[in-house]
Amino acid sequence: MINSRFLPLTRKEFIHIRRDPRSVLILLMMPLLMMFIFGYAINMDLKNIRVGVCDLDRTPVSRDLIETVDASSYFDVVRRYDDPRMTEGLFRQRAVRAAVIIPADFSRNLGGAGSAVIGLVTDGTDANSATLAQNYLESLFLSRSLSAGGVGLPVRVKTRIFYNPDMESAHFVVPGIVALLLIMIGALLTSVTIAREKETGTMEQILTSPIRPYEVVLGKALPYLILAFLIAVFIIIFGHLWFKVPMLGSWTWLMVFCLLYLFTALAIGLLISTLVATQQVAMMLSLAATLLPSVMLSGFIFPISSMPRPLQVVSQIIPATHFLKIIRGIMLKGNGPLELWPAVAAMVAVGLFFISLAIWRFQLKLQ
Amino acid sequence: MKKILNLVIKELRQVVRDPNMLRVIFVVPMIQLLILGHAITTDIKNLDILICDQDNSAISRSLIEQFSHTDYFIVQQQPCRAGEAERFLFRGETVLALVIPEYFGRDLEARDSPEIQILLDGQNSNTAAVAMGYCNRILLEFMRDRMARDTGRDPRLVRSVRFIEPVSRAWYNPELKSVYYMIPGIISILLTIITMLLTGMAIVKEREIGTLDQLLVTPLSAWQIIAGKTLPFALLGFLEMGFAMTFGVLWFKVPIVGSLPLLAVLAAVFIFTTLGLGIFISTLVDTQQQALFIAWFFLVSFILLSGFFYPIANMPDWVQIITLANPLRYFIEILRELFLKGAGLTVLWPELLSLLAIGLTIFTLATVRFSRRAAA
Repeated sequence: MINSRFLPLTRKEFIHIRRDPRSVLILLMMPLLMMFIFGYAINMDLKNIRVGVCDLDRTPVSRDLIETVDASSYFDVVRRYDDPRMTEGLFRQRAVRAAVIIPADFSRNLGGAGSAVIGLVTDGTDANSATLAQNYLESLFLSRSLSAGGVGLPVRVKTRIFYNPDMESAHFVVPGIVALLLIMIGALLTSVTIAREKETGTMEQILTSPIRPYEVVLGKALPYLILAFLIAVFIIIFGHLWFKVPMLGSWTWLMVFCLLYLFTALAIGLLISTLVATQQVAMMLSLAATLLPSVMLSGFIFPISSMPRPLQVVSQIIPATHFLKIIRGIMLKGNGPLELWPAVAAMVAVGLFFISLAIWRFQLKLQ
Repeated sequence: MKKILNLVIKELRQVVRDPNMLRVIFVVPMIQLLILGHAITTDIKNLDILICDQDNSAISRSLIEQFSHTDYFIVQQQPCRAGEAERFLFRGETVLALVIPEYFGRDLEARDSPEIQILLDGQNSNTAAVAMGYCNRILLEFMRDRMARDTGRDPRLVRSVRFIEPVSRAWYNPELKSVYYMIPGIISILLTIITMLLTGMAIVKEREIGTLDQLLVTPLSAWQIIAGKTLPFALLGFLEMGFAMTFGVLWFKVPIVGSLPLLAVLAAVFIFTTLGLGIFISTLVDTQQQALFIAWFFLVSFILLSGFFYPIANMPDWVQIITLANPLRYFIEILRELFLKGAGLTVLWPELLSLLAIGLTIFTLATVRFSRRAAA
């Protein structure tokens, strides 16, 4: 029945893939290379922010404070200067990203009953880093003021970090990269392949054969689903072995959910292929639909809870949002389907939504 | 010159004839800009914090009050017994929990240093670190207020407590709006996609359908063909950039302090490098699909290694060296400095020189390979 008709198509697509070993090699090697570089490169913590210090007080107290700033791993005191008016020039030359200005009466005020004012300037061109730098510095001064007197703090704070106790960046980056690469590969491969058939005119030939539209789609998508799945297994194992990202949950479930995720990626690719006629446009649309949204709106980098409400809604229709919860949950927390089912259900719903849209568009075109 | 112009016109006609292509070049990027430009930040806001108040005294409630007064957290209160908070974390219902122990208020009054526990889900190490910072800060502020009150009552404390009061300012972007930072980044990514990817694919497409061979047997020289193939995309790139910048200025009110002519010159140099890359990619491959994969690899690497999302200073040295060859890195820096600070050539010359060096290298390499392939 179905098999007899769509299997030859699948076989034909496999022959296409096999005949082009260079593409397969590129496809397997590039994700691996990317995983390798990004696993090392991506690290959000601020480190060694260049700070300028203008110390007008010049007392042991102020020097001690500067010492504290310099000793912190976040900051590097690279300039010491005496004229506060120089601050502007240092920012313009990009010599410093933040400046601390200690007024002349600082230590005197600190000894008194009130509080001593200290100036803090950050370079707002990089708003994200500036926000973090400002917060770190303010907290540093705050804890400094409390511990200065030699009496213990009134409350002891004990922090326990779960699931990634060393706050290892790679543990959070590797699953993110898997999610990003899979959705891009899945959507790109599918949309461009079908667009190629249209460009070369072979699509019409297939459609005039007695084969059913959904069989065409299935036959074309299956080989790429398998290829993308292989890539997925490949890079997850690499991340696990090389970057030592733990695997606390079950491999089987991760693979199952990976397949579901790839299915939504293919659905997006199929939908795009029904909208376009050339490989170029297919590629542009696939990139637009997957690259930036998956990086920026999925919670890969930016926390979803901090986004404005409308964007939080948008983030829900991005498959990577749900898959990130799933893959991090399985690898880092050891979650199973019991905890993950809402995310899985949402991901499948998104996939079904895109696939129905694609089928509807496809039939519309046929008529 | 006339010959090149004809080629350019032909190429532009091809683009304009395909309404889908026009939409993809002009409408889709605007939608992206509109959505992605909106306040995306690594800072945290409205993060759910679960507070297990096992004390339930006036003091513990005033501490909780301090948490709910900020924009950073949304306090979820749960009656919970010892050891129960962990389960909320495991189920993913919260990423941050605070446990206030029994007799917290009483111990605090007695100066017995009660212990507060913070439980943190470290999966997303970025968000976790920022959240922990804010959480500690609120606790410190709480302690500071307690100590300030205590100094009034207890003469022993008077000399020991000293307060530093930071007065913070952010220059060039006083409200620290992340959109000012995102818009330049997104503009340069869009520009890279149009110039690098489209050029590469356009050339390979001609080769695939055989029209490139036809072009090569005409009296046109290799560089004339290259100019004819790249200029239209340079033009489209410029148009798109102007479009996106107008949008950014009108919609997001991004200030552009610096000089526009200088920006145009620097953008031209940047486009020169990405076009060179596009031609280079086209000489490496046989099919549009292969071109696409390689261009995709470059694109994603350029973006993630540009310092747009992740500071370059944090990368290991060998990766930092790789980023020196990344044109996007320089262009994003140029846009940011020029838009917000109004930086001129006196400041931006290192970026200009780097872009020129990359551009000349890649363009020469690409032209040589292109001619060699054409001759073969």
